[in-house]
Amino acid sequence: MSAATRVEEGVRVERRPGGLHAACFSAMASPCEVLVDTTSAELALEVGSRAAREAWRIEQRYSRYQPESVLSALNASNGKPVEMDAETTALLEYARRCHVESDGWFDVTSGVLRRAWRFDGSHNIPAAERVSKLLSLVGFQKLILDPPFLSVPTGMELDLGGIGKEYAVDRALMLATIGTTAPVLVNFGGDLACHGVPQSGPWQIGVERPGAHASAAMVLELASSGGLATSGDTHRYLLQEGRRLGHILNPRTGWPVEGGPASVTVAAGSCLEAGTLATFALLKGAGAEAFLREQGVRYWLL
Amino acid sequence: MQLNPNAGVATATPHLRKSLMLAGCALLMAAGAAHAEDTKDWQVDSAVLYYKESAGRVQAIEPVINVKHDFGDEHILGLKFTYDSLTGGSPTGGVVATSSQTTVSPSGKSYTTVKPGDIPLDSNFKDQRFALDGSWSQPLGNDFKVALGTGFSHERDFTAATANAGLSKDFLQHNLTVNLGVSGEYDRINPVGGIPGALTNAAFNLRSGNESRNGVGGQLGFTMVMSRNWLLRANFNYDRSSGYQTDPYKIVSVVSSNGTVAGSLYESRPDQRARKSVYVESRVGLRNDDALSISYRRMQDDWGIHSDTAEVKYHYAIDDRTYVEPHIRWYQQTAADFYSVMLHSGAAVPTYVSADSRLGAFSAPTVGIKVGRTDEDGNELSVRLDYYQQTGKNVEKGPGILAPYDLYPGMKAVMLQVGWRFGL
Repeated sequence: MSAATRVEEGVRVERRPGGLHAACFSAMASPCEVLVDTTSAELALEVGSRAAREAWRIEQRYSRYQPESVLSALNASNGKPVEMDAETTALLEYARRCHVESDGWFDVTSGVLRRAWRFDGSHNIPAAERVSKLLSLVGFQKLILDPPFLSVPTGMELDLGGIGKEYAVDRALMLATIGTTAPVLVNFGGDLACHGVPQSGPWQIGVERPGAHASAAMVLELASSGGLATSGDTHRYLLQEGRRLGHILNPRTGWPVEGGPASVTVAAGSCLEAGTLATFALLKGAGAEAFLREQGVRYWLL
Repeated sequence: MQLNPNAGVATATPHLRKSLMLAGCALLMAAGAAHAEDTKDWQVDSAVLYYKESAGRVQAIEPVINVKHDFGDEHILGLKFTYDSLTGGSPTGGVVATSSQTTVSPSGKSYTTVKPGDIPLDSNFKDQRFALDGSWSQPLGNDFKVALGTGFSHERDFTAATANAGLSKDFLQHNLTVNLGVSGEYDRINPVGGIPGALTNAAFNLRSGNESRNGVGGQLGFTMVMSRNWLLRANFNYDRSSGYQTDPYKIVSVVSSNGTVAGSLYESRPDQRARKSVYVESRVGLRNDDALSISYRRMQDDWGIHSDTAEVKYHYAIDDRTYVEPHIRWYQQTAADFYSVMLHSGAAVPTYVSADSRLGAFSAPTVGIKVGRTDEDGNELSVRLDYYQQTGKNVEKGPGILAPYDLYPGMKAVMLQVGWRFGL
C-alpha cells in the first residue's frame, strides 16, 4: 500500500518500494507518474512538479481539443501563413523528417481520415467515396512549410498524436533532471523515458498487454537511460467480412494497414525515437518485425 | 505474443535511426530549458539584523524580507519590507559632563541626568520604522533595460518617499554595461514637540511646527567584463538636497573658559547640501569558486566633508555548498566646516554650527566575517558578524576642567545578521 505523502497543485507524491518516491498527476488524458530514486518526498514533489508543468505546458500548446492551442490556431488558419515559434517549427521539422524517412507513410495530416473511420469493433466500414474525398485533405507535401512560416490549406488538419506525447515525455525528463542527480523515470500512460539507475537496481517496468491474459503482462528492465513507447491499440479495430482491420491508416489509400501487429512496443534512445519507430513498424504492416530487426532495437509485438 | 528482447542484430546504427535521433535532439532543445526556470517563482531573501552599540547606546533589531519574482524574459518585480526597532541613547551633541548634567527630552516631559565623565545621551530614544520598497525592471526593445523603483518609509518623527529610474545598455558584445539613473526624494521631518528654533537656548525647549526637504540625484555607472575572471565597476553619483537638514534633537554646549558648561543651543545647519561621489570596484574570480573583491569610494560634499571608504572582501569556497567571506573596511572622513564640539561663551555664535559626531572628523574600521551554506534545494543560510569602531580625529581639547576628557563620543558596535534565502 502506498500512502499519499504530499499533494500540491495536482501532483500527488507516494512512497514506493525500493526507496523510491512517485509523483503522480494526469495529463494528455493519461495517468502520469514520475519515479524518483530518493527518500525525500519534497525532492520527488519538486522533480515531479517540474515534469508535470512541462506536460501541461505541451498539452496546452499542442492539443487538438483545446481551441486556444498553438495547433488549433494553425488548423484554423485557412491557408494563411502563420509564423511559428522555435518549438513549433522544430516539431514540424521533426514531422517532415518522419514523412520523408517513411516514404510518405508517416503523415501528421492523416488525422482527418478518422472522420470516416470509427474503430469501435463494429462492421461499420465507410463508403469508398467518402474516404477518397477525405484523402484530398491528406498529404504533408501539401503544407507550405517555409520556416518559421507554415500555411495549412483550408480543410487540412495537423495532428501530432503520433509524436506529441513522446516528445512531452522526453522534455519532462530533461527538465525533471535539472538540479538533481537522483535517477528519474517519467511515465505518461505507458510511454516512458528514464535517466540513471536506482540504487536498488534497474528500473522494472510492468507493461500491461491489452487483449492478452493478465499473466502475459511483461516486466521490462530498462538500461541506464532511454525511452520506451507503444503504438497501436488492440481494442480499436473494425470487422470486414470476418477480417480484422486495425486502426492504423495508410495515408495513401485512406484504408487500414493490413497484416500487421495490433500493437508494437519499442525501446530506444529516447521516448520520441521509440514511439516513432513503433509507429513506422505498424505502418509497415506485415513487414513490421523485419523493419524493427533492421533498426537494431529491442521490441515487443502483439 | 512475439517477444524479442535481444533483437540487436544490426551492428551499425541504421540511417533512419540516425536521422530521427538528429531531428529529435534538435526538437528537444528547441524549447530550451527556459521553462525550467519557472520552477522557483518567488525568490525570498529574509534576514534579521541585530545591532548593538557600546555603553548603552543605540540597539536595533531589523528584520528584512526581500521578495523577487521573475515573470519571464527578465521582467522582474522586487518588493522589500523592512522593520526597525530602535532603543537606547543617542549622543545629544553636548560635551562630557564634569558635574551632573540634566537634559530635558524634546517632548519636555522627561529629564535625563548624566553622571560626571559621561557623554549626554538622549536616552529615552525609542522608535520603530517601517519601510516598503518596490522595483520593476525589464528589457526595453532589443538594446535597453529599464529599471523603476519607489520607496516609502515611516517612523514616529520622519517620513520619506523616494523614486528612481534607470536605463542601461550593453556594448562590446555585452562586455560593457552603461547605466544612467535619476532619483528623487521627499522627506517630512516631524519631531516630537516640533522643530526647535535654530541656535535657541535648549533649556527653554522652544519647538513648533514641522519641516521638509527634497532631493534629486543622478548616477552614471559602468560595468566592464575585462576577462573571464575579472570584472570592473565604476559609479559616479551626484545628488543635492534642499530644505531642512538640521537634526532637531542635537545641541551644542556653550563652555566657559574654566570648562564649565554655561548652557546649550540647538544646532543649525545650512539648508542645502550637494554631494558627489565616485566608486570603483574590481572583482576577480580565483581557483574554484573563490573571489576577491576590492573597492574604493570617495565622497565629497559642499559642507566640507570628504570621505574615503576602502574595502577588501574574500569569498572562500570551502566546498560546493559552504563559503566563508572575511572582509575588512576602512572609513575616514574630514569634519564639516561648521562642525564644532562646543561653543565658547563670549565668542560670536556662527550662523551654522553642529556638534553631531557624525559630522566630525573620524576614522572607523570594520572587520567582519560571513559564513553561508546552501542546501540541496539551493536555499542559503548565512550568518554575518561585524565589529565596528569609530574614533574621533583632531578633536578640540576643552578648556579648564574639560581638558582631561576626550570630547568626541567615539563608539564601538557589533552587528549580527542571520539570513535565509529560499525559493517559493
